[in-house]
Amino acid sequence: MNIHTGLYDPSFEHDACGVGFIANVNGEKTHSIIENSISALINLEHRGAVGGDMKTGDGAGILLQIPDEFFRATVDFTLPTAGTYGAGMFFLPPEKKLLKKSISLVEEATSEEGGIFLGWRDVPINTEALGETALQSLPTIKQAFFSFEGAQGEILERRLYILRKTMEARAENAGLDINSFYIPSLSARTIVYKGMFVSTQFTDFYPDVTDHRFKSAIALVHQRYSTNTFPSWPLSQPFRYIAHNGEINTLRRNMNNMRARESSISSPYFGEEIHKITPIVNPDASDSAIFDSVYELLVQGGRDLSHSMMMMVPEAFGSRYHISEDKRAFYEYEAAIMEPWDGPAAIVFTDGTRIGATLDRNGLRPGRYVITKSGQVVLASEVGVIDIPPEDVIEKGRLAPGRMFVVDTEKQRVIKDNALKASVSRGKPYRHWLEKNRIELKGLFGLPSPAHLDKETLSTRQRAFGYSIEDMVDIITPMALKGQEPIGSMGNDAALAVLSDRPQLLYDYFKQMFAQVTNPPIDAYRESLVMSLMSFVGRERNLLEETPEHCRQLKLAHPILTNDDLNHVRNTYIPNFKVKTVSILFPRSEEEKGDLQNALERVCSEVEAGIDEGCELLILSDRNITADQIPIPALLAMGAVQQHLVACGKRHLSGIIIETGEAREVHHFATLVGYGASGINPYLVFESLVDLKQRGYIPEDITIEEATENYINAVKKGLLKVMSKMGISTLRSYRGSQMYEALGLNSEFMSSYFPSTASRIEGIGIDTIEKETIERHTSGFRFDEKRLDHLDSGGIYRYRKNTTKHRFTPLAIIKLQEAVRTGSYSAFKEYSAEINDIEHNLCSLRGLFTFKDADPVPLEEVEPEEEIVKRFASAAMSFGSLSEEAHTTIAIAMNRLGAMSNSGEGGEDNQRYEALESGDTAVSKVKQIASGRFGVTGEYLVHAEELQIKMAQGAKPGEGGQLPGYKVNDIIARVRHSTPGVMLISPPPHHDIYSIEDLAQLIYDLKHANPKARVSVKLVSEVGVGTIAAGVAKGKADMVLISSGEGGTGASPLSSLRHAGSYWELGLSETQQTLVNNNLRGNIKVQVDGQLRTGRDLVIAALLGAEEFGFGTVTLVSIGCVLMRQCHLNSCPVGVATQDPELRKRFKGTPEHLMNFMLYLAREVREIMASLGFRKFDEMVGRVDMLNMNKAINHYKAKGLDFSKLLYQRDRQESVPIRCIEQIKPDFSTTLDSRFIKEARSAIENHKPVHLKAEVRNYNRTIGAMLSSEVSRRYGEAGLPEDCIKVDMKGSAGQSFGAFLAHGITFTLEGEANDYFGKGLSGGKLIVYPPAESKFLAHKNIITGNVNLFGATGGEAFINGTAGERFAVRNSGAVAVVEGVGDHGCEYMTGGAVIVLGQTGINFAAGMSGGVAFVLDENQLFDTRCNLEMVDVEQITEEKDEEFLKKYINRHIEYTGSRHARHLMEMWEEIVPLFVKVMPLDYRIALMKAEGEAKQVQGVNNG
Amino acid sequence: MGELRGFLKYNKKVSGYREVKERLKDYREVIKRLPQEELTQQAARCMDCGTPFCHSFGCPLANLIPEWNDAVYRGLWDEAYDRLELTSNFPEITGRICPAPCESACTLSINDAPVSIKEIEIAIIETAFSKGWVVPQAPRRESGKKVAVVGSGPAGLAAAQQLRRMGHQVTVYEKDNAPGGILRYGIPEFKLEKTIIDRRLEIYRQEGIEFEMNVVVGEDISARYLRRKHDAVVLALGCRVPRPIPVPGSESEGVYFALDYLSGATKNLYGELSDREMVTAKDKTVLVLGGGDTGADCVGTANRQGAKKVYQFEILPKPTEWDKSWNPEWPYYPKIYRTASSHYEGCERRWQIKTKKLYGRGVSIEKGIFCEINWSKDSAGRWQQQEIPDSEFTLDIDMVLVAAGFVQVEPSKLLKDFNLQLNERGTINIDEHFHTSAEGVFAAGDAVSGASLVVKAMNQGRSLADNVNEYLW
Repeated sequence: MNIHTGLYDPSFEHDACGVGFIANVNGEKTHSIIENSISALINLEHRGAVGGDMKTGDGAGILLQIPDEFFRATVDFTLPTAGTYGAGMFFLPPEKKLLKKSISLVEEATSEEGGIFLGWRDVPINTEALGETALQSLPTIKQAFFSFEGAQGEILERRLYILRKTMEARAENAGLDINSFYIPSLSARTIVYKGMFVSTQFTDFYPDVTDHRFKSAIALVHQRYSTNTFPSWPLSQPFRYIAHNGEINTLRRNMNNMRARESSISSPYFGEEIHKITPIVNPDASDSAIFDSVYELLVQGGRDLSHSMMMMVPEAFGSRYHISEDKRAFYEYEAAIMEPWDGPAAIVFTDGTRIGATLDRNGLRPGRYVITKSGQVVLASEVGVIDIPPEDVIEKGRLAPGRMFVVDTEKQRVIKDNALKASVSRGKPYRHWLEKNRIELKGLFGLPSPAHLDKETLSTRQRAFGYSIEDMVDIITPMALKGQEPIGSMGNDAALAVLSDRPQLLYDYFKQMFAQVTNPPIDAYRESLVMSLMSFVGRERNLLEETPEHCRQLKLAHPILTNDDLNHVRNTYIPNFKVKTVSILFPRSEEEKGDLQNALERVCSEVEAGIDEGCELLILSDRNITADQIPIPALLAMGAVQQHLVACGKRHLSGIIIETGEAREVHHFATLVGYGASGINPYLVFESLVDLKQRGYIPEDITIEEATENYINAVKKGLLKVMSKMGISTLRSYRGSQMYEALGLNSEFMSSYFPSTASRIEGIGIDTIEKETIERHTSGFRFDEKRLDHLDSGGIYRYRKNTTKHRFTPLAIIKLQEAVRTGSYSAFKEYSAEINDIEHNLCSLRGLFTFKDADPVPLEEVEPEEEIVKRFASAAMSFGSLSEEAHTTIAIAMNRLGAMSNSGEGGEDNQRYEALESGDTAVSKVKQIASGRFGVTGEYLVHAEELQIKMAQGAKPGEGGQLPGYKVNDIIARVRHSTPGVMLISPPPHHDIYSIEDLAQLIYDLKHANPKARVSVKLVSEVGVGTIAAGVAKGKADMVLISSGEGGTGASPLSSLRHAGSYWELGLSETQQTLVNNNLRGNIKVQVDGQLRTGRDLVIAALLGAEEFGFGTVTLVSIGCVLMRQCHLNSCPVGVATQDPELRKRFKGTPEHLMNFMLYLAREVREIMASLGFRKFDEMVGRVDMLNMNKAINHYKAKGLDFSKLLYQRDRQESVPIRCIEQIKPDFSTTLDSRFIKEARSAIENHKPVHLKAEVRNYNRTIGAMLSSEVSRRYGEAGLPEDCIKVDMKGSAGQSFGAFLAHGITFTLEGEANDYFGKGLSGGKLIVYPPAESKFLAHKNIITGNVNLFGATGGEAFINGTAGERFAVRNSGAVAVVEGVGDHGCEYMTGGAVIVLGQTGINFAAGMSGGVAFVLDENQLFDTRCNLEMVDVEQITEEKDEEFLKKYINRHIEYTGSRHARHLMEMWEEIVPLFVKVMPLDYRIALMKAEGEAKQVQGVNNG
Repeated sequence: MGELRGFLKYNKKVSGYREVKERLKDYREVIKRLPQEELTQQAARCMDCGTPFCHSFGCPLANLIPEWNDAVYRGLWDEAYDRLELTSNFPEITGRICPAPCESACTLSINDAPVSIKEIEIAIIETAFSKGWVVPQAPRRESGKKVAVVGSGPAGLAAAQQLRRMGHQVTVYEKDNAPGGILRYGIPEFKLEKTIIDRRLEIYRQEGIEFEMNVVVGEDISARYLRRKHDAVVLALGCRVPRPIPVPGSESEGVYFALDYLSGATKNLYGELSDREMVTAKDKTVLVLGGGDTGADCVGTANRQGAKKVYQFEILPKPTEWDKSWNPEWPYYPKIYRTASSHYEGCERRWQIKTKKLYGRGVSIEKGIFCEINWSKDSAGRWQQQEIPDSEFTLDIDMVLVAAGFVQVEPSKLLKDFNLQLNERGTINIDEHFHTSAEGVFAAGDAVSGASLVVKAMNQGRSLADNVNEYLW
């Protein structure tokens, strides 16, 4: 099966998982370790997933020490003494011939490498345990044993390493890929058992591990959840050294760098044999496998286990972290050697004697550990995976962001972060080396002096680089004024670059990718301390060595260089640091074409020559363009140089800086850096700023210096935004990571200049790019015909006739409104004809499709319009962005049609749950659950027919947003559970979704919170979205929505609007193909949205695989929107997107208008269906064979496009459905909640209090949500009287304990809880304390996991212990008492109160705009850990604050029996002064204002 | 963009007209101007729409209205002029006489008063003239190609300038005494002073455009000769044949076509026509037949000449009266009752009046018989008129001015010599490149599309120029 055909590509696969280890600290080998580790694995099963056959797991495995006793007993040959032989696990091909070949390959390689082949052992397996798909790809599993004369310890490990690499190389030469010949492990210390099954099948499949002679002191386990199920035995985990729960976002960059570095690695450990271990990485492997290979190299190359991990996954060390200078220096030094492997990660690692774990800098994966008296350490993604008697526990902890810990079975010690890192960072004089060698230019990044303005030629040059008025006025000017990127609204419907008639910049063909689901985007503003733009530029040296010269590189604080900076770098004499400039201009010749390609070759060879001459820095420059000297597109020059240098292994020897007049908007800089630039000097922007200043666009109070700085700041912020949306924290790893998708560039071009970037529909090549470049240049210098000394209008952000084409033309808007207002279908046809007019207005890919000829059927036989509209949904637009009038008009219209309307992310006024007098209802059937969780209460959830998890939105995928305070009026504040006038922030990630298994958890939560609703997940199209959709399907969502990156009505930075995300034609097609290929399509529906306009659009989408359709822009146009694209300014002149009471009066839309539109659209769909011979809509879904590409289009760029991947269809197997035929109904009858509901019936129905008891385990997840749904369905927000339902529980509770708990329900938990404790708490009460038998100090130990009380809207929580990261994130109403919290506590909080009776982590109160926190600050360091951007830290002075504290601490004592709290109360007078109050600035003002108003009202009443 | 929410802050202001009493005494422009500060505020009302209907739907020239509004708001009059000049060859003329479909299409017209686009336009161009920014833009390179432009109305003038700026040698042939065509002779002085045209023509001449006056091509010089002497010929002949009225007696003395009457008045003003030769309304009872703009121009002219009484009859129904500031038919030019400046100067307007007969005794017309009619649709959906019984009335009149529109291009030897195909509407057939059936002969303007707006003719002239340019290269 060639799975690579079509749009699916295995490199898009993601996985995430449960990981963990168990170790005997004293090194004693026992069988119970293995038994325990397997039960841990089984208890993590819900973190894994099964595929379409419902049996094939995504993979599970264990890494153990070599069981010498067991092997000795089971092999039929004699083994040398333990430690002097290596054992290997082999996955070999099942076919006899290939197997034979592989066996002899192994044996031959051994003798050639001077080893002794000891023998084979067939590993007993039980295939009954496997699912069908896993069985199909089952390898022959064997073990083999080797020794090397006299070798043991590290020497033997190294010999085995070389041996394995040699075998791999031979296998590859013999045509055996990783799926045919794979060595899971080959070591004298460790052995790996793994495969494609779920954990429960483990012991069945490998009976070996049940043998009591099989013993180990350590066990490392892994349970995989992959986004899809093309079974790959080798890619299940653990690998040889690590198991990884996470995602390496910057893999491309890391791999390229490794490839380049291979040419310069050397080590005394390997000597001449170094060539045998290259290539280090196999590009076909997964990110985790590649990480493992590099980690292995570092360790084998002589670096310590923790040292190597610190290099690859460094913690954040910016100046806002209080860490030792030596450690900071160490990280900085290592930064010059290797870039971070960036992305969310919990990594467990071992070399067989030591075993440890670390977390990425953001702490985006959970890791909880327990240390016992009996000498065991258990670490896992969740607590409670194995039974440990409470009295045996010494310590319960969690891995904090960037922290590491190691169990050393040799030294018989647990070594914590500080001890580990101190020994590494002081192992060599790194600080000294750095101070002496690092190049820091004095005056670099100083205040810029004004650029020289050559007004005479300015517009000529601007035009030659494609500048438009929009670039000047709408992009550069706002950046220079405000220091940030400009905002726009209403999506992007301009023609794709490849369909545009006007010369496009190369950047426009590249779309930014973004994190969704499998790894979270980062909040670059509120969590800026983990972000870094710092980088080193210069020559990288031997990776396996550490010398002072390694850090002889130029340190750049950020990559944007002013003209002064560049001159400085160019002209300052720095010893041992040579700089050379290479021109990227090319002369115009008489030749028709080929000039550009020749010029690129010249540039590449000049750059290489420069490196050979010893230049550490090369500047690619397009300064001094003339009428005859044309600039190479800077991105193309960068791509060519990058590709050339990687290929010749010299990329790491020099930094590349680009001096270009072309770059001006954030996307330009982001792509240049993304393809390898270390620095960029946008000289023409700086010059343009001077011009703008002279013309008065930059007002008098902003000097040109300030404007320049503002502009640079805006670019820096933009770069951070782009990186963070991809989930990347540091520029060092972002640079060269190529996180883009190309659209409209052909594969010949891509493979030459951007080889690892996906480009799936072909398109133009170098010749057309040359043509566009010359055309653009000519338009700059063409004075001789018309007078052209002005800039073009642009017409991208605002419609301009005769410039950029847009799908929504003025005429289309007019005709549409005429149609719906006058009820004229013929006007509608004029509208749709205008939109579909590809002759004049070819803007989108769907314009290029044609329908195949078919036998038509009579129109009367086709499903009626009224049925078809039921598949329609209005897009998610929040009440807050839309006026109340517009929002309810849409809801009423959609409800009347039996179609769906969407609440958007701002909650919903509960008054809308009542029917209107007219008999209409304005309730939104679809309720959105977005990252901000505004107004997501239990009541909100039960009033939905569909719950939609918004992972991304088309306008700005991967980004958060904010509702400025002035838009938060009384009603919006009420609905969102916040305070009027206080800004509301939507974080970029859902803080309960850092990975695919987290999403599955949220789906699970929502299905409990409203068992009657279906759950959908909204994704935005990008390359790889299909695999994510597969993951969503496996997470048991009922529907997946593929949104187009072009769509989106929301406000968004302009560069995101245009450049982030791909188009639905691609995303939908990829989703359909992947779901069908994995046999998952039958269980999940697919919806599509994004600039859908006409019946033709819909039918194309249906044929590509969609069964439901969403409409945003066109919905608004139907009710009066005229595409002002200024929704973010609150100035909508037709009252659609505004909260201004005056403007709202101008709203003239009616439900009938929208109904007319929807019905006309359905009518048109029907007509097309008849012509295509479809009677039922369902027959049409997925019938891609009915589509063709229109070859007749004679567009000079479009003619290179090729849709064959889009139209690809695997041979139809009738048994494999291509549309949803049966949704899986979850069975919750055995859950605790089902029991509670039964037992609490009298309370639920008659308010008669009940008191229940239960034992819980970590697999009991989402306790309380379904019970609460019964309550909120009946009683709404008010719930039941306090403590009406009391449940006492014991044990380790699973994730989402007490989710959406309704008022009147009280949960008491004796034990501990995992992540998402109290998610969405809606009035209930949660109490947790350690078991009575436990001996540790409760307040020093961790008791609840990460992200407690996320999005809570009310209720109380009392936590007798420490909680993890992001405590009470986005809390808007709950009151909590806790005895310590991790990093980012109270992040984005908007209401409620939090009392912390102990330590907090860093970045407390980031983005906190409301509510209040009280923190016991015993060592008076709190202000160093608090993010003071939005809050004040003050003493407790007011009596009411003290009363509040006392009241809640006393309750805390009453409920949890906290000894710590009791102690505090005993010495209250001494303690009070140590408390600080954290008060958001805006919140205080809003409260004072409200109070003032209240007093005024009172005054009036009294007067 | 202009000021955020400026449209909520400021009300629309228009300059209005000079006092009736005062303006009736002369032929000077009736319209006044807003001071510059006021205009900045008016420009601030522009919302810089994402989809500016003024520019993209209303204005046939696609004037970059939001861009120059913004520049005016910022006080950058020179940049405003730059943007205005890009799409318009004589904004000082359109700023005065265009019915401003841009304002009807302005987004604010949906529910508010539109931006005063016309006022801003004229202010920009007048400022540019007064500051000396309007300078000839001779081409940077001569192509060596020659183009003849026949006709100097809006289409011809626009085409001529565009072609000249592209480097071609352009000669404009005009049968009248002075260039301008309908602009000069069709539009009364009080709406467009002819010095305005002359000021623009001076620029044309400085750019190197040649004008040959009093030349009837086809008669004074042969079409063949013209074609041979030039690399391309542009016909911008206008659509001058007036629509006759099917009324017995309409051939009588004292019944004139509006255009003849109006051009006579202008020619007299500039000494091209003696008082004796001129038809004047002095002391006469004048009936204007036709309720359109040309009719209104006749009313204004007649009053200035000292008419005793002026009637204006229209056969169609009176359009809906509309006193709101917004446009009920947005974004279209609304069919509403309009009052031109001339109407305020004294005139009795009636609608649904059919002229049944005109009586002239001896040399001149004396009276007419009229009746009131109703309009209704017949079974095929066509409008039909019915006389209202007993509505007939008689009126004593001395002069009738027929302003019933134009039907076709004047037949001429030129057309015949080029053997040009006309279409059923009597206008010249062209292909998508403005090329007529004769090789190297192009046509644009009313001659192609029938009588229409000046801006449309200008736009055609400009598009034609692009095509001719392509043809010549």
